Amino acid sequence: MVFRFLRRFLKEEVDEQTRLRLKFDHFRHLLENNTLALETMADMEEKLSGDYLFDRAYLQTQVERLGGSISHIVTELNLLTENRYPELRAISQQLQEEILRELTANPDIPATAYVLPLSALTAETALSVGAKMANLGEMGNRLHLQVPEGFAITAAAYQRFLKASGLDEELAKHLAQAPIDDLESLEAISREIQTLVRTAPLPPDLEEALLAAGKPFLGRPLAVRSSAVGEDTDFSFAGQFATLLNVDAAQLPAHYREIVASKFTSRAIFYWKYQQFSASELPMAVGCLAMVPARASGVMFSLDPHETGSHTILISAVWGLGKYAVDGAITPDLYRVSRAPDLEVTEQRVAAKPVALVCRPEGGTAEVALDPEQARSPCLNPEQIQDLAAIGLKLEKHFGHPQDIEWALDDSGRIFLLQSRPLRVTVPSFAAEERESTWEPVPPLLRYGVRAVGGAAAGRVFQFHRDEDVASIPPGAVVVVRQPAAKLVLVMDRIAAILTEVGSPTDHMSILAREFRVPTLVDVGGATKVLHPGQIVTVDADAARVYPGVIPELLQGRTPSDLDIQRVPVFQKLRRILKKATPLSLLDPESPEFQAGRCRTLHDITRFAHEKAMDAMFALDVDQALEPRSCSRLQTDLPLNLFILDLGGGLRVKGQTWVKEEDILSRPFRALLRGFHHPRVTWAGQVAPDLKGFISVFANTMYDMGKSEKGLGGKSFAVITENYLNFNSRLGYHFAILDAYISEEKNDNYISYQFKGGAAGVERRERRARLLGDILDYLGFKVQVTGDMVQGRMVKYSLLETEQTLELAGLLSAFARQLDLALSSDAVVDRCFQAFKEEDYNLSFLRPQESVT
Amino acid sequence: MAEQILVVDDEPNMLRLLRTILMDKTGYEVMTTNNPLEVSKLLQEKSFDVVVTDLKMPLVDGMDLIDIIKKVDDKLPIIIITAYGTLETAEEAVQKGAYDFITKPFRKETILITIRRALEWQRMQKELAELKKQ
Repeated sequence: MVFRFLRRFLKEEVDEQTRLRLKFDHFRHLLENNTLALETMADMEEKLSGDYLFDRAYLQTQVERLGGSISHIVTELNLLTENRYPELRAISQQLQEEILRELTANPDIPATAYVLPLSALTAETALSVGAKMANLGEMGNRLHLQVPEGFAITAAAYQRFLKASGLDEELAKHLAQAPIDDLESLEAISREIQTLVRTAPLPPDLEEALLAAGKPFLGRPLAVRSSAVGEDTDFSFAGQFATLLNVDAAQLPAHYREIVASKFTSRAIFYWKYQQFSASELPMAVGCLAMVPARASGVMFSLDPHETGSHTILISAVWGLGKYAVDGAITPDLYRVSRAPDLEVTEQRVAAKPVALVCRPEGGTAEVALDPEQARSPCLNPEQIQDLAAIGLKLEKHFGHPQDIEWALDDSGRIFLLQSRPLRVTVPSFAAEERESTWEPVPPLLRYGVRAVGGAAAGRVFQFHRDEDVASIPPGAVVVVRQPAAKLVLVMDRIAAILTEVGSPTDHMSILAREFRVPTLVDVGGATKVLHPGQIVTVDADAARVYPGVIPELLQGRTPSDLDIQRVPVFQKLRRILKKATPLSLLDPESPEFQAGRCRTLHDITRFAHEKAMDAMFALDVDQALEPRSCSRLQTDLPLNLFILDLGGGLRVKGQTWVKEEDILSRPFRALLRGFHHPRVTWAGQVAPDLKGFISVFANTMYDMGKSEKGLGGKSFAVITENYLNFNSRLGYHFAILDAYISEEKNDNYISYQFKGGAAGVERRERRARLLGDILDYLGFKVQVTGDMVQGRMVKYSLLETEQTLELAGLLSAFARQLDLALSSDAVVDRCFQAFKEEDYNLSFLRPQESVT
Repeated sequence: MAEQILVVDDEPNMLRLLRTILMDKTGYEVMTTNNPLEVSKLLQEKSFDVVVTDLKMPLVDGMDLIDIIKKVDDKLPIIIITAYGTLETAEEAVQKGAYDFITKPFRKETILITIRRALEWQRMQKELAELKKQ
């Protein structure tokens, strides 16, 4: 009977030890993975410096490694805390999925109908219908702004078309062979692919769906335009894909194929391969919209991309259809509007607009000459300008980013929105010094124009007349062209500067040039006549000047380096991935925001899990869980009744009833004991400067005596490993918990410290808590004092620093023991703090007779 | 005369970056191709001092490319760029006759130093061959 009882009793004891051991294992795994995750993130951040070359395979490896560590961290934390943070799993999974999406840029195509009406579209449908149509739906359905009627042909339709026709395999084969360097073969491959797309039959179900959707629009002019999935997100595909204006809905299948084919023009392929999208990515959705009979149209930037500090809205406008404003075919009116609430029109530059693009009754578009009076008159009146500006700000606020907006004004003066996408706001990395306007290094050849892309560059003039000539543009050329040519994207990675005679900073070519950071001046009338082929010139786009020869003082520090790794797509991919991984929003563990549900990044997860894991270890409740019988006992001259449980590598000897201090291998424990043994610490007795304090201590001592085993200390427990210490102690009438981990890995190191209780009255205990708080703060801990309880934590110090601080923490425990009686006033608190700082650990100022002897 | 370098990599990003880095204040002349199938033809048309090639490419494996290059010019130093975690293959490549390998990601300086050493080695090989002839 007695034997059975004992066996049961011993079994529970063993289970308790196993539980502690398991907890420690989870904790250790969590720490290991935490370190691994932080190392991986640091390694990836280092690659952002621009000193390294890396490829997609590197990103893939690191993302997998990071994901693995984070998943382990979440699992171990929940094992450690009895599943207290189940929501972390979903958050971690979601973040990892988002990161994988960034990595592959290959979102799964949602299974939707082939056609979706505009009235059913919102921003969330971007994966099905492309951002362009999704945003248009958002503007119409959520913001109730005026958009044309219409529908979208979805990415699912694109997928169906490619699969059914066998085009997908054919295209992949062609695209793999498309060389990015050789423009001529790029052209040839592009032509082949486009022919394949144009001639491939649509599967009958898709053709039927398109004709049915087009039916309500029969007899009404339709605009059919690309809305590629992935377009208009982080990359600007400005003008890369086709738009068909004023077409017949009855021919929708053919128009649809035409738009899909436009995905494969040589410039789109170049841009697309340059930006590292693979053949299977970037599905093409198509938007079909009722044509707006536009009196005037244009583009609006809700923020001037060059003068982001100027708080200006930029609007360009032409008569007729907006294509001329977008292509930069003619110089549009340019309006600058203040973003302040009054929306004051600060600048109005009315251009001579001799022609306009209009719809032809038989379909398609035609250029018409305008009478001189209309050509010279502004397209918008002040009220319309302000209405537009207000819409721009509204869209910016709604989408949370400055917007690049296409708009049209119909005959009755209604503003229609045709598109809104994030505006690429570039801040030049080279400092463009403002130059005194009167200073000219040499007389300029040209002294006007509008800056589309800032900076300065020098090179030989190349006059670009026809798109076919693009392959013959030599590297380093200053390209001079009559009107903006998006085709120039093919050479934008190698030319010095662009000058156009007409155009505006809002046209497609300018947007692309900004992306490639090619200094660009537009609206430089007469450039093709003044500048001769082969002539060497310096373009100062910021000052809108072109000088003969090379002017080194203008170029210094203002030429974007050729060697700009940071502009390479794989680098941008890394940047986007890190955006979801490294920013830290959970900063303060004491804040109510410090919750699992508020983790926004992988770094947040590691931070949260590390903190909560330390809390869990801190709250192990060791002295409740362990019985002294199962532990070794420390033989020491310290006034400690100390029992040790070694979970691995903490003791030199195993299974001994008594162990000596020299048997201890645990690094943090040894450090703590060194602090206890500090030569200047006095363990014997307390200091009592007044009678009141003495009585108070005496009363509490009487009360506490029953709880303690010995006068000087109750049972203390140390759970240890080679690197870990959880120390629960009763020193006198104080209760202290110390939990620490020390290793070579800085990220894992921490000390948590808690001190509570004591024999003195509440007032003195609180004073002591304040004093300890001050001292811990002085030692580098983050401290919280609540009543007579002090909690402190320090993390991520080096092995040596953590070890030294642990010594000081040991010393502090002994130091604090003496204080119960001493803290008779706040002034003494200050004196004691001072004494600690001066290493007077036995408080000699309170022991005059001892210090004399 | 400027040293001629041929760079082979199927990833346009890498190709562009390598070309820019190798031409930045070095005086080297750099030719790039993303098609390993045309390497043999290029080597026959023009004389190169160093070839820098990726190890893993879809059309021709870097290992096979070593053989192809060695067939045209067995003295030509080949520098292999290898991905993270394929160290064994890279070592195998060196055994097969590649001059050296570097592992992605790498610092800009690393590739420049490796090329400089390869060129020096190439020069010494030529001098040695001359001396042997004498």
